Amino acid sequence: MTDTPGTGLKQARGFRANLRVTMMLVVSVATGLALFVAERNLVTSVENDLQREFQAELETVHHLQALRQAALLERCRTLVRRPRIHAALEDDALDLLYPSARDELRDVMSPAEPAFGSVLRAEFYRFLDRRGAVISAGAAAGAGALQADEEARLRLSDVPETRQIGYLIRRSPDGSEAISEIVTMPILSQETGAAIAALVLGFRFEFLGPAGNNEELRRGVWIEERLYLEGVSDVARAQLAADLPRLKQDGDASSQGVVLRLDGALHRVFCQQLNPGTLYPPAHEVCVYPLASLLARRQSIRWKIIGAGGLVLLIGLIASHLASGRLSMPVERLEVDTAEARLQRQRAEAALESTSVELQRAARFSADASHQLKTPVAVLRAGLEELRAAGRFNPETNDEISRLVHQTYRLSGVIDDLLLLSRLDAGRLALALEPIELTRLIDAALDDLGVHPDADTFSVETEIPATLEVGGDEHYLSIILQNLLENARKYNRPAGRIRITARREGSAVLLSVGNTGKAIPAASQAHIFERFHRGGVGENVPGYGLGLNLARELARLHQGELRLVKSADDWTEFELRLRAVSDVPNASVESPLT
Amino acid sequence: MPPSLECSSDRGTDGWIRRTRVRVIGTIVAGPLRVILLTLLPVLVSDVRAAAVEGRVALPETRTVTVPNKRYEVVAKGGVLSLSPPLAVVYLEGKFALSAEPPLARMVQKDLVFTPALLPVQRGTRVEFPNLDDTYHNIFSYSSAKRFDLGRYRPDERPIPSQVFDLAGLVTLRCDIHEHMRALILVLDTPYFVLTDESGRFRLDGLPAGSYVLKAWLNSRVVREQPVILREDAVLTVDFP
Repeated sequence: MTDTPGTGLKQARGFRANLRVTMMLVVSVATGLALFVAERNLVTSVENDLQREFQAELETVHHLQALRQAALLERCRTLVRRPRIHAALEDDALDLLYPSARDELRDVMSPAEPAFGSVLRAEFYRFLDRRGAVISAGAAAGAGALQADEEARLRLSDVPETRQIGYLIRRSPDGSEAISEIVTMPILSQETGAAIAALVLGFRFEFLGPAGNNEELRRGVWIEERLYLEGVSDVARAQLAADLPRLKQDGDASSQGVVLRLDGALHRVFCQQLNPGTLYPPAHEVCVYPLASLLARRQSIRWKIIGAGGLVLLIGLIASHLASGRLSMPVERLEVDTAEARLQRQRAEAALESTSVELQRAARFSADASHQLKTPVAVLRAGLEELRAAGRFNPETNDEISRLVHQTYRLSGVIDDLLLLSRLDAGRLALALEPIELTRLIDAALDDLGVHPDADTFSVETEIPATLEVGGDEHYLSIILQNLLENARKYNRPAGRIRITARREGSAVLLSVGNTGKAIPAASQAHIFERFHRGGVGENVPGYGLGLNLARELARLHQGELRLVKSADDWTEFELRLRAVSDVPNASVESPLT
Repeated sequence: MPPSLECSSDRGTDGWIRRTRVRVIGTIVAGPLRVILLTLLPVLVSDVRAAAVEGRVALPETRTVTVPNKRYEVVAKGGVLSLSPPLAVVYLEGKFALSAEPPLARMVQKDLVFTPALLPVQRGTRVEFPNLDDTYHNIFSYSSAKRFDLGRYRPDERPIPSQVFDLAGLVTLRCDIHEHMRALILVLDTPYFVLTDESGRFRLDGLPAGSYVLKAWLNSRVVREQPVILREDAVLTVDFP
């Protein structure tokens, strides 16, 4: 028992602190993890949304472009089947080629429908001969003006078998540049299907479709190592132009786009060839989406999450604080209770020990005292008897001496009882249990009773089965019986009776001793087995109140019991319970009578 | 002399395919025959002792099996125009006086084809182009021998649109509306010419005696020729291998 109550409480407080810290740690980690995951998911979903938005926008735009191109191609296909153009080419009438074409292409060159006006309007047209060279328009009007070098760039190494799409940078006289989209459609022989010539139509190239929700979308063309992209700085354009040769090889650049840092801000760049599989120089469409809005959204989401997370964390910490306090409360209470219990136990143990020591001391004292008293009493008695035997005194004095001798007997009896009790208290009394015939024992006790002078004043009834044996120490059993019978005699009324019965009940033998006479007051009945208690009987009855106490202690020493059965209506009865002989361990089965 | 009258004897066979074939052949034969008759009529009347040439032109083999519905069409392969299935025009080369009255020929547009697909005419001939379809046609030619554009017209257009071909050469006719329609008009200096039949056989009657060159036009690039000496009342047999 080294712990003091103080350390216990300290430990309980430590437990609470640990619990609190652990719970807060768990709450913090869980909140952090949840926030991290939430932030990841949200940001990813925002990015995916934006990505999808980009893709959808781009797809819409491409779809529009494809529609326009399909319209252009269909127009061209119709044109190259025109009989007059075939006639001019096949019937050796090249001089009529451009005049015929001017009629045939009138609606393309100056469309009547305003809806398609700018989209499907051609800027110029030329024909390629069967070797891919440009058939000069000469002075023919209506074919659209082209610079000589621009016209030269229309030519192909051979007349194409399939349609070709190219892009041509054109410089107007004022120095500004524009891009023309070229559709070259082969003119096929009706008989052989072989290309005999080709029609080249030049359209003004412009990006179709609305810019969509994202007004920051920039679209441009990368053609002949030059980038035409409006709305970005020269630096960014130069950087993009430097990156494009690498991007055009990248498959992702056309489908997913790649993220580049332009002008210090992130942009998603898509790069896709406009005219795959063409004989003309390749041209790439370049789309640039600034990711600033995405980053802003991401930042705002992050702040919101951090704000929400802080709130959640605060609530969690408060909750864990309260919870840990509440959870640790029973532990603390238990610790306090335990400390008190421990204190009480220690006190009780100390008290018990001191009591035990006191008891031992008292028992030893009474044993010593009894022992010391025995010799003087014996000496006193011997002296008195010697005086009486000397016959030197008159009869009155002799009678007085006789009474004194009698008193010394009583004194010896009390000293014996005290000695026995003190040995019982000290637990030093050892019994040798053996079968004892009860009848014989009772007869002997009744004999002792009979010698008393007032024996004639009452009658004795016995009802004891013969050969009833109990296990016990004969000496101490006789003391019990003597005490009981002595009481029955002492407290009997004149002309009363004493009744002794014994019977076997299971493994026990019950011996009852009853007597007539004044009943023990009800208030005293509970105390009659206490030492030096005399049950409030008349003071003229001799005794010291040790008999019943001694009898009960001895009965208990025999693993039995002594109790008061009844004390009322001129009848007082005690019952002594003893163990039958068959139940006595180490008991001899031999009957002492046989 | 409508073609249908000329071929009336063939009527009676049943089946529209056969009828169509007969009508087409009749139409093809009608044009040249009439020209020949018109040309030769004064000669025959004044001089009955005229010379004649007959023979066979070896026509290029065609891979296509002869189908009942025979339709001649102009094909251009590598810039060479010819007729499919092949027919040849045999004519006598030389300088002959033009008749005072320009001869008349006819090329109809029926079922979205020109009939005949190949029409040989003497220089100065007026060719009429009646539209026998229910739709518009627009005949034009970018050929150097004759450039013209008749514009769009309907079947009931009167007078029937026509052109005078006064320059020798090959003229390709097209329809501006129907890109597949094509026909050839071979404008010749001579009044003595004939279209072979499918097997290449021909006969030219009423020819003047003398030494000439007989030519066979196979396509726009191939013209075979044979020198011939024609005698009166004699039929010369000339084959073009």
